[in-house]
Amino acid sequence: MIDIKNLHKSFGDHEVLKGIDLHINPQEVVVIIGPSGSGKSTLLRCMNLLEEPTSGSVVVDGIDLTGDSDINKAREEIGMVFQRFNLFPHMTVLQNITLAPIKVRNMAKDEAEKIARELLERVGLADKADAYPPQLSGGQQQRVAIARALAMRPKVMLFDEPTSALDPEMVNEVLDVMKSLANEGMTMAVVTHEMGFAREVGDRLLFVDGGNIIEQGPPKEVFENPKEERTKLFLSKVL
Amino acid sequence: MDMNLNVDLMINSLPLLIAGAGITIQITAISVGLGLIIGMFVGIARISNVKLLRWLAAIYIDFLRGTPLLVQIFLIYFALPVLLGQRVDPFIAAITACGINSGAYIAEIFRAGIQAIDEGQMEAGRSLGMTWVQTMRYIIVPQAFKNIVPPLGNEFIALLKDSSLVSVIGFEELTRRGQLIIARTYGSLEIWITVAIIYLIMTLTISRLVAYLEKRLDTK
Repeated sequence: MIDIKNLHKSFGDHEVLKGIDLHINPQEVVVIIGPSGSGKSTLLRCMNLLEEPTSGSVVVDGIDLTGDSDINKAREEIGMVFQRFNLFPHMTVLQNITLAPIKVRNMAKDEAEKIARELLERVGLADKADAYPPQLSGGQQQRVAIARALAMRPKVMLFDEPTSALDPEMVNEVLDVMKSLANEGMTMAVVTHEMGFAREVGDRLLFVDGGNIIEQGPPKEVFENPKEERTKLFLSKVL
Repeated sequence: MDMNLNVDLMINSLPLLIAGAGITIQITAISVGLGLIIGMFVGIARISNVKLLRWLAAIYIDFLRGTPLLVQIFLIYFALPVLLGQRVDPFIAAITACGINSGAYIAEIFRAGIQAIDEGQMEAGRSLGMTWVQTMRYIIVPQAFKNIVPPLGNEFIALLKDSSLVSVIGFEELTRRGQLIIARTYGSLEIWITVAIIYLIMTLTISRLVAYLEKRLDTK
């Protein structure tokens, strides 16, 4: 589903990604962990070209994002959830969810709203359709953001630290939605600090540090039996 | 020194002056409307990804903010006809000069208003598959409008005052009306005081209106 080859990314003189190779299979849930500044968010943001790779290739669902392909077309298939939600504050929850299906997929308004209400039901916010984002709690906003991304019927979902900006008591309501999504077979790449989620939901755990994938494998294995020194050091701090 | 004000002259000149004030408001409103359209496109061009557009927008803004409005009025009313071989109507010249001038200031207002919007909004729009233009249109610009109401109100007030400059091309707005009445009555003191008060009433009213509008937008 996602095929990354020899991905390099530099900001000025600073090389953030130093040659990443990564293949993510359909329906696979890949959890990416690592210290701050390790390049894990940049790696995720290269998967929908919010960051333009300096070199290397990123292919998603057969579309080469680093080639001449229409990036907007490709992004229709790649859902993104941000740390700080990035809902559109001047629109109701329903308008937030229906905007892209109507404008990008040319969906009829009625149909888009029907899908939006189903998605809101699914994330437990059916009663918030007419609310404005600033009226919602962080956890509610993030669930709306997930519904907004799902409304495009994406083939892949990218999560960039989706619970890092939340108060502790709201983390689980968001993780629960992500869990059910994973159980339904969504292909997911998740950058997170939630080790419990990584262990429980992840098919594969990636430890990134210094712009390289240091270690990867089934989460249980990596957590219980890390092979690399740097992984051990990191896990000893966060577990 | 004769400090007696001829109050009758002030009262008698009111209908003519108020009609002139109406024309002042009219050219200001049309010019700001024109400036708003120009300013929106130039402001967006100023921060677009296309180098040529950014460059053209910068030239436009620099030229119009770097030369006096009075000179711009002369350029359009006196210099342009030399090129066109045809007289320009004072009203057209007035709104064109004021509109193009105000477009440059409003472009900067727009640019600042857009740049104040969190980057995550553009990223969210683009991530949903929307184009840059779609994201600007549906997400960024509507939010920027809210940010720019106060500075736009200030621009309206500034232009309302600056529009007195078009009196030099004989266009009969408030200031020109004052001059014409004085030419007839020699009542400099009375008429300029009256004219100043009318301008003051207009600018104060507009600033109150803007403050009210700002408050209403804020609570939504």
